Parts: sequence; C-alpha cells; structure tokens
Amino acid sequence: MGGVELVACNDMSTPPIVAEGLVRHFGSGDKVVKAVDGVDLTVNDGEIFGFLGPNGAGKSTTVRVLTTLLKPTAGRATVAGYDVATQADMVRRSIGVALQDAAIDPLMTGRELLALQSVLYGLPKARASSRGDELLERVGLTAAADRRVGTYSGGMRRRLDLALSLVHEPSVLFLDEPTTGLDPMSRLTLWEEVRRLNREGTTVLLTTQYLEEADQLADRVAIIDHGHIVRQGVPRDLKAAVGAPTLLIDVAEAQSPAARDVLVRFGDLRPTSEGTLGVGLREGASAVAAVIRALDDSNIHVRHLELNEPSLDDVFAEATGHRLEGAEAPKQ
Amino acid sequence: MTLALATRHTAWLTYRSVLGRLRQPAALTPSFVFPLFFAALGSASFSRIAERPDFQEIASSFLNYAVAGAVAQGVLFASTSAAGDLATDIEQGFFERLLASPVSRTSILLGRLGSAMVVAVVQVTVFMIIFMAFGARIESGPIGFIGLVGSGALLSLAIGGLMSGMAIKSGSPEVVQGSFPLVFALMFLSSAFFPRRYMTGWYRTVADWNPLSHIVEGMQGFMNQPLAADMFWRAWLIPLGLAVVSIAFGLRSLSKRLAAL
Repeated sequence: MGGVELVACNDMSTPPIVAEGLVRHFGSGDKVVKAVDGVDLTVNDGEIFGFLGPNGAGKSTTVRVLTTLLKPTAGRATVAGYDVATQADMVRRSIGVALQDAAIDPLMTGRELLALQSVLYGLPKARASSRGDELLERVGLTAAADRRVGTYSGGMRRRLDLALSLVHEPSVLFLDEPTTGLDPMSRLTLWEEVRRLNREGTTVLLTTQYLEEADQLADRVAIIDHGHIVRQGVPRDLKAAVGAPTLLIDVAEAQSPAARDVLVRFGDLRPTSEGTLGVGLREGASAVAAVIRALDDSNIHVRHLELNEPSLDDVFAEATGHRLEGAEAPKQ
Repeated sequence: MTLALATRHTAWLTYRSVLGRLRQPAALTPSFVFPLFFAALGSASFSRIAERPDFQEIASSFLNYAVAGAVAQGVLFASTSAAGDLATDIEQGFFERLLASPVSRTSILLGRLGSAMVVAVVQVTVFMIIFMAFGARIESGPIGFIGLVGSGALLSLAIGGLMSGMAIKSGSPEVVQGSFPLVFALMFLSSAFFPRRYMTGWYRTVADWNPLSHIVEGMQGFMNQPLAADMFWRAWLIPLGLAVVSIAFGLRSLSKRLAAL
C-alpha cells in the first residue's frame, strides 16, 4: 500500500493553471452548444483567481475540464504542470476540488467522509485519522464530526466540502461557486478560510457570480460570457480601464449652478438623479480633496458627498453590453 | 494505480454502501420482509401438496422447498436496491465527486457489488435462522449452508452487475426501480415458488430456459438432498457465469460513460 502521493507541481516553471484555446461543445450538428469557446487563461502560483460570469456563461464547464471531469473538445490545458487530457490521474492527485453540484453523502458523518476521502487519495491509515481531525478543527466542525451530513446546514456542508478537498494538501484548489446560497455570516467565514489557505501557499481558482466575492477575494479575475473570456486582469485595473470614478454631491438648489462651475474644472459632468450633481474625476479619487477645497472656497455647502468607483459589473457591462444578472451578493 | 490501492478503494466503497443500506432501514426492509411473507403464504397455501409422493422427491415440506425461492427473491430485491443507490449517486453528484478524485474507476462499480454481496450473505444467514426456527432443515449439513450462502452471494453479483450496468447507463434511480418488474417476472417464471414438474405449456418452457430455475433448484438441493457436486454446478457455476457476463456489462457501461465525458 503506497503512501500519499506528493502533490507538488510537475514542472515548477509552469504556472499552476494554463488553458490555451480551450473549447468544450455539447451535442452535435445543428444542436451543438458551445459552452466553452476558446478560453485562454493563466493562473499564477499563489494567486486567488476569480472566474466571474452569469449562470450558463461557461464557468463551471471550464472548471470541469480543468479538473478532468470533462474532456476538452479542442485546445489544451495543464494543471499543476500536467495535461488535463493525457495525464488526468496526475492532475486529480495534485488538485483539490469543491464542486457546486457534487453532493456530499447525507447518510455518512463528516468524519467518515474525511476517512473515505483520505483512502481515495492514498493517505496511510495513521495519517488519515490525524489529518481528518486537523481539517475538522480547521473548518469548525469538530463538534459535528460524528453527526450525519444530512443534519448539517448549508454552510456546514460547504465547510465540510472544503475540508474534503484539502485532505491531500493540494497545491491547487478549485472552488466552484463556494458561497452560492449561503447566508452572509457563512459567506464571510468561507472567504476567510480561502484567504488563509492562499496565505499558506495554495493557488485558488474560484468561480462566482457574485461581484463582491470576486472583488474581495481575487488577485485577478477573468470575466466569461457565452463561453468567451471578455476581460481578464487585476480587478482594480479592469475597473480603472472602464473610466474615472464618479463624485456625487448634494447641494442646495440655489447653489447648484455655482457648484456645477466648480465641478466642471475636475472632469466631465455626468447624468445623475434629480437634486444631485455628478462629475467623472479625470484624476481619479485623489482629486476628491481638491474638489472639496474648491467648493469650500466658493462658499458652497455640501450636504452629502459620495465617490463611486466603477464596479466589476460596469466592466462586465462595458465588455458585453449587458449587466451581470443576479450577480449582487447580499450586503455584508 | 496499484492493485492493493484499488482493493482498498473497493473495500471502503463497499463499507460506505453497506453503511448507507443500514442507515436506510426502510429501504432494506422489503428485501427481508417480502420473501419471508411469500414463503409463509406459500407454506400456508400449498402445504398439502408436500404430501404427494412426487413432491417428497423434491422436498420434505413446502417450507423446506420455499427457502431457496425466498433466498433468491431477497437477493434480487437487495441487488436491485444497491444498483438504485448507484444511480442515485450519479443523479445527485456523489459519482462526480468520486470521479474528481484519483479513485480506481472499477472500484466505483465493484464497491456497490461488494455491498450487494455483503447484504446477500447477511440476508441468507438471517433467512436460514428464521426458517430453521420454523422447522426447516438443511439436509446437506453445514457445507450445504455454505453452499446456499455462496449461491446467494454469486446471484447478488449476477443481478447487481446487470442492474448496476443499467444504473450507469441511465443515471436514473427511476429506470432501475422501473426495471424491477422484469426481475419479478424472472422470479415468477421460474421454479422459485413452485416445482417445474407441475408446470405445463409455455410456462413450463420458459421456466425450463430460465437460468433462475436451475440456480434455485441447486439451492433446493442443498436444503433437501444429501450433499452432491451437482448442487454446486447449478447453484454456484450458473450464477458465477452470469456474474461474469453482467459485471462485464457493468464495466462496459462505466467505461462508455467515462468516455462520453
């Protein structure tokens, strides 16, 4: 009986996840569905990479190809340095996977599932037991370890799912919509755990339809729509590329023309709701202090001021012409 | 993947399946209750036929005759349920969880068959204890008991392989459960509930060709005759041959499903 396989990358010079022209079609002939249609992406070592898009955009299909659950129709991908099509077994040994649709057996206890997972990944018996205890403690499920999973809440199941994906200490972790359907508290707990794993050196690719989740967690994001990646990069840069932040001010109606004269010096006036003035700051957020000083010098009393940065939804809208439906996570 | 690791995977997946069975008593109950009910019904209804001299050549009592049919029926129920659980794994996503891990693919099927076999062994043992409490006797002695248990285990593989193949092909528990009437028809068109010598016409012809008749008669031999090699030929080799074919069908279905991913 062999010990646990080391899960280090095959080739340390290759980024942990690379996809080149990845294509996955379903069906054939006239009924072909191009779920993933030429995806190129690179996830660097130690990164949290967010894969953002609406339902049906191709996020989960891409992850299924990268985790060897689906074969690519065309293109090539390597994960942990191994080819997903020709070295699938090595890929599986190297990665952790928590899929949105992969059920956890409700009849088994958390501890039993961790023991089973340890066997599947070839952990020696003695190590399996201690690793199970470590992970249960890590995800806060020690007290519930001997309860059947069928009695767990949604948040507990997701945490157990995360623990299961970590049994063999993978270097690359795939999380498919890890917080969908969770309450705000459970979402924050899971985010913290993902950040902690990343600090410990795990490369994470997570799919999400929540803008805030991608913004909060990801070092870089790729936005996918209709099987194509439409934007890819650091969230801040992507948002900056959309345009300047908008400064909104609320002043007395009598002072509105004077305020308008001041604001126009800092950028283009933007349409706003009634009673509010808006300006796209040419020099970004750093100009806010100067605007306030200028308004003050003109004896204009500002009742309310708000600076709106472009959001990833604006990036998505700019790239696709439509908004990310249902993407807003509940407010924290 | 080493053979030792694949064996360990199979053993754990068998353990998981058995746990699942034990933790759903409602799903396990029919495979224990119905065969005993049918055996009790048959013994009460047809006890007088056992007084016929030509029946005495087969069994000393109808209860002794009914044991083999009950065993076969229980095994068919349990094996179909195990395959239903496999289809549920596919439908609900646990199958995909397994595929995302480096589990031996063959173990996914063999684990389910292993659990069907474990349940069959327990089932035959429990049935024998109950039947013997009501006066049944194993004429072929302790080796005959092992013969019966082994036959039940092999039959569970034969039916389990076939049903698991269907489960993997369809991925639907409803399809597996929907095929159960066919299994039931296989039972009724055999000598599981009544000796072939009293059948006539097409019914007799079908029963003659039905392999289950010969398996059940092999089991009846263990119950009612002194130990003989012929019993093992019928009660072990026929289900073993069927198991080889049905497991090959199951593995082919699995291989096709994986190739279609």
